[in-house]
Amino acid sequence: MRIALAIARKELSIYFTTPWAYVVFTAIVAISSFFFMGLLQTFQQVQELAQSVGWSQLPAESAAYRNLTDGVIVQLWGVLLILTLFVAPFLSMRLFAEEKRNKTFELLMTTPVRPVELVLGKYLGGLGIIGTALGLTLVFPLLLAAFGSSESGTVLEWPTVLLGYGAVLLWGATCMAVGLFISSLTESQMVASLLTFAVLLPWMLLRGLAQGADEPLRSFLGYLAFDAQLQNLIQGVLDVKALVFFLSVILFSLLLTHRTVEAQRWAA
Amino acid sequence: MPMIEVRNLTKRYRDRIAIEGLSFCVNEGEILGFLGPNGAGKSTTMKLLTGFLPPSAGTARVAGFDVFEQPLEVKRRIGYLPETPPLYPEMTVGGYLKFVAALKRLPSRGLKAEVERVAGLTGVTDAMDRVIQNLSKGYKQRVGIAQALLGSPPVIILDEPTEGLDPAQRAEVRVLIKSLAGKHTVILSTHILPEVTMTCEKVLIINQGKMVAYDEIRKLATVHGQAENVSLEEIFIKLTAA
Repeated sequence: MRIALAIARKELSIYFTTPWAYVVFTAIVAISSFFFMGLLQTFQQVQELAQSVGWSQLPAESAAYRNLTDGVIVQLWGVLLILTLFVAPFLSMRLFAEEKRNKTFELLMTTPVRPVELVLGKYLGGLGIIGTALGLTLVFPLLLAAFGSSESGTVLEWPTVLLGYGAVLLWGATCMAVGLFISSLTESQMVASLLTFAVLLPWMLLRGLAQGADEPLRSFLGYLAFDAQLQNLIQGVLDVKALVFFLSVILFSLLLTHRTVEAQRWAA
Repeated sequence: MPMIEVRNLTKRYRDRIAIEGLSFCVNEGEILGFLGPNGAGKSTTMKLLTGFLPPSAGTARVAGFDVFEQPLEVKRRIGYLPETPPLYPEMTVGGYLKFVAALKRLPSRGLKAEVERVAGLTGVTDAMDRVIQNLSKGYKQRVGIAQALLGSPPVIILDEPTEGLDPAQRAEVRVLIKSLAGKHTVILSTHILPEVTMTCEKVLIINQGKMVAYDEIRKLATVHGQAENVSLEEIFIKLTAA
């Protein structure tokens, strides 16, 4: 475990000494604050309208705008899911590909490091960086809590906010696990990031495909779709089925990565 | 018991043969010079010995452990400098050496002293806080050697350790390698023939994946040359021609 931690620490220190991580951080904060402003504006408009004509006169879907939690934060988390999908491949691509290109993979494979330790260390480093990137977006609920106001109770329903945020983190962890596996397949970071993206995006959109399919394929595709699995969690509903689903995807990706690293020893 | 024992080692990449039927032994404390023209299979042999690549046939044992069957035991006992020094350009020299020390499972107590010891041996002490990508080629190479010496493993395998060094640094590294004799078993590969004469007792010459000579340097001279003082260079050219 000590070796895994040493590898994770090395990964993080390399992320933070190259400009790459900062570019990604800036992008994620800039884009999400753009959406945050937009959501706030819509929220305000609906609130003003409701004040003049009353909530009962508004269409049913406006109900979400009655409080800041559902009207702004839950929707922001939804945006963040898509952002994570775009950003994670750029963070995960270097994990193995760079070692191979740099010939440092030879160092890792000729020192007494077990493949398990290597994979865990790499994954922990990856979790650290995606966690930091996503952690920056906690500033938005904090801003609302500090400056927002509510007619009843607290400004934000923290359990809902945090559970939704947990879903975003879980999704980030899933993207990193898939990205880690794909990075272990190639020497090229470019190929790794594009391929990761090409796997994650259609997987996210499987639900659309499911709607056009017949049973039982329909339920099956619907179950596999990331998007459908995330629905409940993001709205603050603790969905154990989805938790199990994502943890299985992570575990399976890590196992595949382990196999790939191990295969080096047998390579022709 | 020999420290390194290689039997019939063969490596094929699809239809291309990298090395074929290589057999040799290195006793404890010996320094073996590994010679051969470019592409003869020197680096491949070293990758097989360190367990980075699996052999197609044959066996290699280090300190009695089979490289393929018990890789962790073997890796614990080997310090290895690959052809390209395995450096992380973003790290500082000190940070890098500490990281490699952790990979080698050196105890955290005395780790700092060990890092300083190898840095002193290779003359990179004054560059400890510098970022590796800003170092000159000679420094990078020496950081690579320092990394191999960490934890003073019983077996040290150096793939062209003097590559990229200037004549003065080269002489220093030669002295360093000579000082390893007795305590460590060393295999080093090089193109520079005088280097072998100066540092090694035994030499192994391979050409196109096959062993063409394997003996003590003195004996090679008497076998292959008419005169007593025939140079290793002449023997090398004679053996690797054709």
